[in-house]
Amino acid sequence: MKKSIAGLVVAGAMVATLATGCSTRPSADELKQLEDLKAEVASLEREISAKESEKGALMKAIADKTALLSQCEKDKALVQERLRGM
Amino acid sequence: MKVLNRLTLVAALVLFICAGAAAQEMTKEEWQKQMTEFTAKRNDLRNKLAAVQAEVDKLKKEDADKAAALKKCNDDILALVGATPEKERAYAAKLDQIDAKINELSRLSNQDLWARKSEVDDVQKMLDEVKKDKMSVLPKYYDRVKEQQNRLDALKKSLESAQIAMTYTVGTWAKDRDCLWNIAKKPKIYDNAFLWPKIWQGNRDQIKNPDVIKRGQKLMIPPKADLTKEEKSAVRSYWKKKQAAAEEQKPAAPAKK
Repeated sequence: MKKSIAGLVVAGAMVATLATGCSTRPSADELKQLEDLKAEVASLEREISAKESEKGALMKAIADKTALLSQCEKDKALVQERLRGM
Repeated sequence: MKVLNRLTLVAALVLFICAGAAAQEMTKEEWQKQMTEFTAKRNDLRNKLAAVQAEVDKLKKEDADKAAALKKCNDDILALVGATPEKERAYAAKLDQIDAKINELSRLSNQDLWARKSEVDDVQKMLDEVKKDKMSVLPKYYDRVKEQQNRLDALKKSLESAQIAMTYTVGTWAKDRDCLWNIAKKPKIYDNAFLWPKIWQGNRDQIKNPDVIKRGQKLMIPPKADLTKEEKSAVRSYWKKKQAAAEEQKPAAPAKK
């Protein structure tokens, strides 16, 4: 009985050794390729975030200028009216 | 038996190490799966970046267009009033000067303000000039000029209230010995007879000749202060006329033979 248990353990160890040593692993180049890809993804995420901020700032600047332009048009009409009354 | 036990121990150890190594290292399938996953993510992000970039470019153009329109609008307004940067600077400097003068006069008591009445008139002249300028209709100056006029009007009101603050009703010569000299000398008035021209000049509408005032006349008594240039000049003119009249009344000297 003990012999058969020992035999099972030895056989298991041999199978595990074979499985670990013989299963296919990515090469160093392939691993680097994956790392580069991950870095590119991270860089793109940062770039998009910066562009979104720039977009927000531009939208605010446009809204401010639109308000100023509207006020300027009103001022212009007012100046014309006051000049007529001078 | 011992050999068998040792063999089992070594085999168990090998099994443990192999299992650990297998758990730590990535398999080719896992690598492939991650490559596929990250490639898809990268492509999505590239598309998203291109879309955001296009939006940013569009917004930049819109921003530039708005800035140009705003500049044109401002230029149009300045052209309407014929303003140039130099003219604007000069105009703003005039407004500052008026502000400073009004501030200075506003700090004075009514009495001191009365003594500097002519300066209030000068400021009004300056303000009138400023109001005639087309630049006064520009929004950034319009309200300021209006406010200056309001403040100046308040100063004028202070002057008026100083003017009507005190009146004196002329009595009779027989009883009160009222003449401008004596009125000015009264302790309740100026307590200084030499200030009589102030009463004369303050009541020019009803006193043509300072030697003649009538009973019942209500004279406005200007606040006590030194004689102004105008008042001094009026006194000089009065004495000259008086002297000329005296000369005329002298009998002509007999002609020498």
